[in-house]
Amino acid sequence: MRRLNWLPVAAVAAIAIVALATPLLPLPDPLAMDIAGRLAPPSRAHWLGQDQYGRDVLSRLLWGSRVSLGVAVLACGAAVALGTALGLAGGFLGRLAELLALRSMDIVLCFPPLLLALLVVTLLGPGAATLVPLLALLYLPGFVRVVYAGVLSVRSQDYAEAMRALGATRLRIMTRTILPNIGGPILVQFSLTMASAIVLESGLSFLGLGVVPPAPSWGLMIGAARSTMAQAPLLLLWPCLALSLTILAMNALCDALRDAVDPQRAPRPAGLRGTLAPHAPSLAPDGDALLALRGLTVEIDTPAGAIRPVRDVSLRLSPGETLALVGESGSGKSLTGLAAMGLLPPAARVVAGDIRVDGRDLRRLDETALRRLRGTAMAMVFQDPLSSLNPVHRIGAQIGEAVRAHHRLPARAVRERAVGLLRRVGIPDPERRARSFAHELSGGMRQRAMIAMAIANDPRLLIADEPTTALDTTVQAQILELISGLKRQGGMAILFITHSLPVVAEIADTLAVMYAGEIVEQGAAAALFARPLHPYTAALLASVPGEDGALPRSIPGTVPAPHDLPPGCRFAPRCAHRRDACEAAHPPLAPVGDDRLTRCIRWRDFAGTRPSAETAA
Amino acid sequence: MTALLAAEDLSRRFAARGLFRRGRPVQAVAGVSLAIARGEAVGLVGESGSGKSTIGRLVLGLLAPDAGRVLLEGTDLASLREAARRRVRRRLQLVFQDPYSSLDPRRRVGRQIADGLAIHRLAPPAQRRERVAALLAQVGLAPEHAERFPHQFSGGQRQRIGIARALATGPEFLVADEPVSALDVSVQAQVLALLADLRTRLGLALLFISHDLPVVRSLCDRVVVLYLGRIMEEGPASEVLRHPRHPYTRALLAAAPGDPLRPRARILLRGDPPSPADPPSGCVFRTRCPYVLAECAQVVPALRSGGPGHRFACIRDDVETTLPAPTA
Ligand SMILES: Nc1ncnc2c1ncn2[C@@H]1O[C@H](COP(=O)(O)OP(=O)(O)OP(=O)(O)O)[C@@H](O)[C@H]1O
Ligand code: SF4
Ligand code: SF4
Ligand SMILES: [Mg+2]
Repeated sequence: MRRLNWLPVAAVAAIAIVALATPLLPLPDPLAMDIAGRLAPPSRAHWLGQDQYGRDVLSRLLWGSRVSLGVAVLACGAAVALGTALGLAGGFLGRLAELLALRSMDIVLCFPPLLLALLVVTLLGPGAATLVPLLALLYLPGFVRVVYAGVLSVRSQDYAEAMRALGATRLRIMTRTILPNIGGPILVQFSLTMASAIVLESGLSFLGLGVVPPAPSWGLMIGAARSTMAQAPLLLLWPCLALSLTILAMNALCDALRDAVDPQRAPRPAGLRGTLAPHAPSLAPDGDALLALRGLTVEIDTPAGAIRPVRDVSLRLSPGETLALVGESGSGKSLTGLAAMGLLPPAARVVAGDIRVDGRDLRRLDETALRRLRGTAMAMVFQDPLSSLNPVHRIGAQIGEAVRAHHRLPARAVRERAVGLLRRVGIPDPERRARSFAHELSGGMRQRAMIAMAIANDPRLLIADEPTTALDTTVQAQILELISGLKRQGGMAILFITHSLPVVAEIADTLAVMYAGEIVEQGAAAALFARPLHPYTAALLASVPGEDGALPRSIPGTVPAPHDLPPGCRFAPRCAHRRDACEAAHPPLAPVGDDRLTRCIRWRDFAGTRPSAETAA
Repeated sequence: MTALLAAEDLSRRFAARGLFRRGRPVQAVAGVSLAIARGEAVGLVGESGSGKSTIGRLVLGLLAPDAGRVLLEGTDLASLREAARRRVRRRLQLVFQDPYSSLDPRRRVGRQIADGLAIHRLAPPAQRRERVAALLAQVGLAPEHAERFPHQFSGGQRQRIGIARALATGPEFLVADEPVSALDVSVQAQVLALLADLRTRLGLALLFISHDLPVVRSLCDRVVVLYLGRIMEEGPASEVLRHPRHPYTRALLAAAPGDPLRPRARILLRGDPPSPADPPSGCVFRTRCPYVLAECAQVVPALRSGGPGHRFACIRDDVETTLPAPTA
């Protein structure tokens, strides 16, 4: 369990203790009238004043809390217990239980709650004894549904299937796996219901359908105070204040509990925007480069302190060139791509370096100017097309939207353009497909639609972040073919981000290998594959299953966490060629011959020993 | 060689889900037979939706077949009563694809690994901690990792924990459903090496599900190639991958990005796999097959021999020597 936020716990505990301890407190009788003290203002004897019968308001408020809270706790407790049982049975015991549990709840839901309340009260007469079962019944369907939906979703998770595969009984799966995982939603529902029950109890009492006068209750007090509002407005204030504070405390408590029982929930990073540093030194335009990054460093604030997941990254991409940025997950390749689009998440910011797209300095542009650049100068394709496409709009309309973001065209022309784009990315029967929704398309077709959207305004730079990773092999080959086709036809520059070296071999001209936030090797793709000059690149190549069916060689250890980088060479703990000198100082990215860079001080001793080169030759 | 586990003519369909329950049922698996010997590793290869996971769950008895049966050393799993079937689960285990959803986020991993021990009463509570430590060591993790929650591990480490959980009951047969496809290449290699090592050390039989042929070749003795729930080709891994007799296997091989130093000519398949709710008549592959003939729409090609232990389901014999028809 994580650390619990104690403030709301203390608040609710205080309220509960006061309610429980009320009979022990030296309070005046809440029912004792005193006509002389009618509507008297607060005094030493009556701290909150007296009501229209001269009864002590503080005493009535505290005694009333016992009634209000008691009714709510009993009703919600009954509803949560019964509802959880029914929901579990419905989600777990098979068709019949499911039918009975859900349909009976539908029947309850058919009655409007207030009508049901009126009916029951008329039949059974008002009073707390009627209120508790009534409220419990009203809130039961909510719990049944929350629990039932939770059971269904947890049951479909792999870890529930794993329990089944282990041979666990239903009871065990229910208590060990399902219940703990739906505890959060149940707590949330409980907090909502408690608050709602307190309000509903007050409302019914206010209407004369709940607690019977002269017994004290907050609802009755509000009702009574209303008629004397002009003479004694404070009388209205006290019960309303008590009601609001109690509900606030309840909600805060349940939020805190939900956070505490969830081991995963990390405190949110402090949001700090500001990718813009207007005083950054401006460098001369970088020749004809479409994309030029120089010394890019990105910082993110985390609870464990600021980290720099991208450090000193420089890249240059000319028209018609495809540069592959390769690295394992967490190496900072996606953040680099996002920075180049001016799309860093809110918690991240560029703290150093220079980003130029088509000669323009992105760090000096405001959001409007950036938006104009996106789509026309540069566009991006993501890994998961389903979550990047809008599920409620037709594909054609979404592509049209992309066209319209930059061109004023009549609706017909936009539609034709969208269909033309779908045809260009190789979607069969584009007229019909333009009218489809994202979920009606296969993964490959969705990725094609995403690419159509990205190229809608003929960007000169396309940034593709793992565009084929989620796809099947045969479809992946199609998409790679499509992307290299775009490059051949339009001279588009492509920044291709991936973790897969074999995929890169198909399309990249140049290659930059990232490890733990920095580039460790860079150069022409063919040269790099033939003769890696950094042990990490060599190890990555060896970890691809070879032609000969040998087991791939793994890299021992794991990528270091960004707040725990090894001193000196970041790869040293996993490197087979390490010497003491490697850990003494952080190696610079040094040029080696033409257009070749490596961040290894031992590249000379190591060069040419590509582990699988012998077998491939 | 008697099979440890044999599946005979398995079929399974799923009712189409949808707002109004319309649509045809999906035939996820149609007439699939498999036999896996003790200690043997069989690779099950196919694209998404080809029914690989469904077969994995059918042979484990986690899902009931509509037709056909699964025999564990000659005993039909379906003939067992609930309690006996739960006992059998001890011998058959599963490793999942997604390292994130396969572990319960709310329980310490040590307790999750110990579940199998507790369920089958394999160790008294006092010894469980020790057994968990041994299992963690077996997959290359440290004993103190038992006290952590799943989110404190990397994807590769989670996959190891999933394997440790499966090993806890001392299984003889492991279904690994795409255990590495969600991992980085360098980590993939670690998990593959672990599986290969466990196989030799513990004599585990393995059904290794994957869509990645190079990965399968490195780990498995035999391969089964699946398309739309049907077997297209099967045989010894080296044989099938060196001399594929079925056009689909050839296309898969050509599409698989292999050694970066040796880019190869590729057969680009047109379009996407058809929906399993509406499979083509005749040969199910014919809508994408570069070798398709008119007869392919009429006959359902039966599996026939293409060498020792090698079978394929195509009416043509000349795909190895013929160039595919040019694709659009
Ligand atoms: N519980 C289910 N209900 C309905 N349809 C299902 C269910 N499980 C699988 N299917 C369908 O059966 C077919 C085969 O599914 P299966 O999960 O076995 O494929 P797979 O080869 O494992 O694919 P992937 O590579 O995506 O995991 C698919 O069309 C799938 O949509
Ligand atoms: S500098 Fe040393 S530790 Fe770093 S990659 Fe080179 S040889 Fe390995
Ligand atoms: S039977 Fe015909 S369609 Fe099917 S794989 Fe063989 S050639 Fe292709
Ligand atoms: Mg699957």
